[in-house]
Amino acid sequence: MHNTLTRVQNVFGFFTSVAFAVAAAIAMSVLLSPQTPSASLELRNVQVVKGRPHYYSTKREEYAHVKFDLDADLTSLFSWNTKQLFLYITASYPSSDPTIIPPSEAVIWDAIIPSDYAPLHPNTYIHPTSKTAPKPKKSAKGKGKKEVGKPYPAGASPGIVRLDNQKPKYQITDVSGKIAERENATLTLHWNVQPWVGALVWTNTKTVGRWQGLQGGEAKFAFPPLKGTEVKKDDLKTETGGERNRGSPA
Amino acid sequence: MFGSLATLQPRQLAAQVLNFALVLSTAFMLWKGLSVFTDSSSPIVVVLSGSMEPAFQRGDLLFLWNRGQETQVGEVVVYNVRGKDIPIVHRVIRRFGGGSAPLQLLTKGDNNAADDTELYARGQSYLDRSQDIVGSVVGYVPFVGYVTILLSEYPWLKTAMLIFMALTVVLQRE
Repeated sequence: MHNTLTRVQNVFGFFTSVAFAVAAAIAMSVLLSPQTPSASLELRNVQVVKGRPHYYSTKREEYAHVKFDLDADLTSLFSWNTKQLFLYITASYPSSDPTIIPPSEAVIWDAIIPSDYAPLHPNTYIHPTSKTAPKPKKSAKGKGKKEVGKPYPAGASPGIVRLDNQKPKYQITDVSGKIAERENATLTLHWNVQPWVGALVWTNTKTVGRWQGLQGGEAKFAFPPLKGTEVKKDDLKTETGGERNRGSPA
Repeated sequence: MFGSLATLQPRQLAAQVLNFALVLSTAFMLWKGLSVFTDSSSPIVVVLSGSMEPAFQRGDLLFLWNRGQETQVGEVVVYNVRGKDIPIVHRVIRRFGGGSAPLQLLTKGDNNAADDTELYARGQSYLDRSQDIVGSVVGYVPFVGYVTILLSEYPWLKTAMLIFMALTVVLQRE
């Protein structure tokens, strides 16, 4: 009754029960931390040009390039169970039949903001620093560490995002290939909180218990008519993210 | 050691086999019950690739929910490429349709620079919510699924585990 095998089994069984209970407690504890997210999102510029889905494609489709300003304070979304915050901005526009088909939506920009306790990973958002910031002095040893950008502005904490005339990461089109001159489009900020253990949560606009809904974070606009050759190539550059797999998707 | 096996009455042996079969069928019933509850063919999946890092690492366990027909942009979905049996866990970045029209989704891994257009079947530009999606991720537990990855990458581990379990069952006659 007290041989080694029984003891090992009992210890292992107890370990799994305790681990399960602790994980459940951590997952439920996020409901207790209050959230007060706020954001101000504005459209800066939108241009629609002709383009191809990829280099070798023969399809010529209309692509929209949307620049925006964002000022967000999402620090309260980071609880002790937050591994990272996936922020994304989408452009949505009504479908061909708004009474029975919901609006179409496409992501134009996203950012992965890890919590300060998460292990360092190359696929992280690097917040743009202001151009007037003083350059860091090189260390005396000569073998200076490369200055790694932070996912938030200098002096702030994870969740603060201040972007001015931000280029999008993706140029978007409609499934039909035509996106010019569409009215009633909306730019919206969303987030997805990735926990260490437990349920994933997305943007809440309504207040639930201690979690206040998002204030702001929406901007209405309309897609302009198709522009021709007068658009400079520089204006259509997109932002490069921190993704490690470049080329063929894994 | 094996002499004790010979002194087992046929009824005791039958009872032990029945116990074993009951344990197996209970596990199977729980799995299928969860499948029906979530309306997903595979309600718990293990992350196999690093295309969603740093959110999901290889070996993480994901809980799926398939009853939400209006999948939104930003949700993480598990889908099978038509004709293949490999589940892929990626995030939805575009949606068209829904309501009365079939919902078309475009996905992309967080750690991939390109979207999944190349991964889809030939001639397919978008996923169909009703046909291709296995479920949408609602819950997450880190690391515990890594043992299934080890089992599939080192097949001798499977045989070793089975032999070990058979031995413990045979040697413990209680």
